[in-house]
Amino acid sequence: MSSFGYLIKEGFKNIFNNRMMTLAAIGVLISCLVLTGSAIMLTVNVSDIVDSVGDTNVTKVFLNDDLSKLEAVYKGKELKALDNVAEADFIDKEDSIKAYREQLGEEIFESMTGDGNPFPYAYSITMNDLSQYDQTIAAIRAMDGVASISSHREVAQKLTSLSSLITMMSFWIILALAIISLFIISNTIRMTMFSHRFEISIMKSVGATNTFVRVPFVIEGVVIGLVSAVVSTGLLYFLSDAVIKAVKGILDFPYTPFTDVMWYITGGFLGAGILVGVMGSMLSISRFLRREGNEILGW
Amino acid sequence: MIEFKNVSKVYASNGAHALDNVSINIAKGEFVFIVGSSGAGKSTFLKLIMREEQPTSGSIIVNDMFLERLSRRKVPYLRRTMGIVFQDFRLISKMTVYENVAFAMRCVGKKSSTIKKRVPYILDLVGLADKANDHPSELSGGEQQRVSLARALVNNPAMIIADEPTGNIDPEMSYEIIELLSEINKRGTTVLVVTHEHELVKSFGKRVITIDEGRVISDTADDEYIAI
Repeated sequence: MSSFGYLIKEGFKNIFNNRMMTLAAIGVLISCLVLTGSAIMLTVNVSDIVDSVGDTNVTKVFLNDDLSKLEAVYKGKELKALDNVAEADFIDKEDSIKAYREQLGEEIFESMTGDGNPFPYAYSITMNDLSQYDQTIAAIRAMDGVASISSHREVAQKLTSLSSLITMMSFWIILALAIISLFIISNTIRMTMFSHRFEISIMKSVGATNTFVRVPFVIEGVVIGLVSAVVSTGLLYFLSDAVIKAVKGILDFPYTPFTDVMWYITGGFLGAGILVGVMGSMLSISRFLRREGNEILGW
Repeated sequence: MIEFKNVSKVYASNGAHALDNVSINIAKGEFVFIVGSSGAGKSTFLKLIMREEQPTSGSIIVNDMFLERLSRRKVPYLRRTMGIVFQDFRLISKMTVYENVAFAMRCVGKKSSTIKKRVPYILDLVGLADKANDHPSELSGGEQQRVSLARALVNNPAMIIADEPTGNIDPEMSYEIIELLSEINKRGTTVLVVTHEHELVKSFGKRVITIDEGRVISDTADDEYIAI
């Protein structure tokens, strides 16, 4: 226990004496972890949005502009007559423009009512069985007087492909940063080791085991990993909170707050931080420890 | 204690024959000088004992350990049976005398309470009790070598190996250092001193092994030694 306390103290001494390189290593590792966390948060949220949007069983059918209100109302009967359509609610184009009254201002709004209304008549339809979605949409498209169909499903599909693209890009960026982090940590520790080569040569000559020589450097790597993990978690907490607040103003979907996944991400960060720290230090120590006597001192 | 049987060492890097069919026996409790000119093979001899190098052929037994069968993991335990004194002292400048000696004990996992008892005792033995809080830069060459000796002794090794211990100190101090090693030898510790100072060797009348061009050319007991 006495030795372990001594080795921990030596590890912290190393960090202090080599503080600039340690800070650089922590900085790179934080960048890597924050990017990883951001990619995770993005993937989780996009997946939630996709689920929520995909589950929404509402499709909008816009009719041709030249249809009169009577013709448009009649189309409702045709829509309801389709096998898989449970409901078809008529959306009057006057109601559609009213939703924008405030944004448009009274003068423009007045000019857009009646014949100047740019909105078409539309129907909001609900289906009985979503598994027959594509066939039902095809049947609606085949009807006369149907201009276009808008479904959240298409948005969901676009978001899914966007999410896959983000995941793929994140993977390569994270992999590159992980390698850079490993390289920087390993070099930071190699520098510490180089400055301690004299002590190491004495340690080996008096019979210190390789584990004993190694422990302070591994502690240095682990501390770099732990500090990076804790700071990254804090940064990601504030960052994701701010991003969610900003996006919520534009797209109102049920977002997953950082606090819901915080413990998983913190656990992952701590694990990754420790792993990178230990691997980085082991990489630099192993080759050094194979040297003997004056070779350690470079003589 | 140390047994070399037909040991040869050829360095793969430059093909140099550092030792050629050397057979030596050093018993427990002996005091032996190893002499030879520069490049004679003395350093290789020490490196083989410390298992910094492995022989090309032959076998070595040190403190009952067969070195050719000793795994890398066991090497530290071999080194704990010996204390090394270097020509250039190898003291850590930022540490005090006390800390330099205590460092050797920390490296082998000794408890703080044991260190606190043992280090002052050893410093007293080498005559440096009053210099415990000094840094190496504040000491003379002879005193620094005593610290190096204290560090070699502190883990109570069966054998002390001194590699040119008097190479960096004045003749008077050199005599004192060998005298101190003799005292330690009288307490039962085997002492092996590598040197090229023939006068010093002659004045102590101990066993002398002379190595030249990688071969043992003489192995004389007590005062039979004649410098070549």
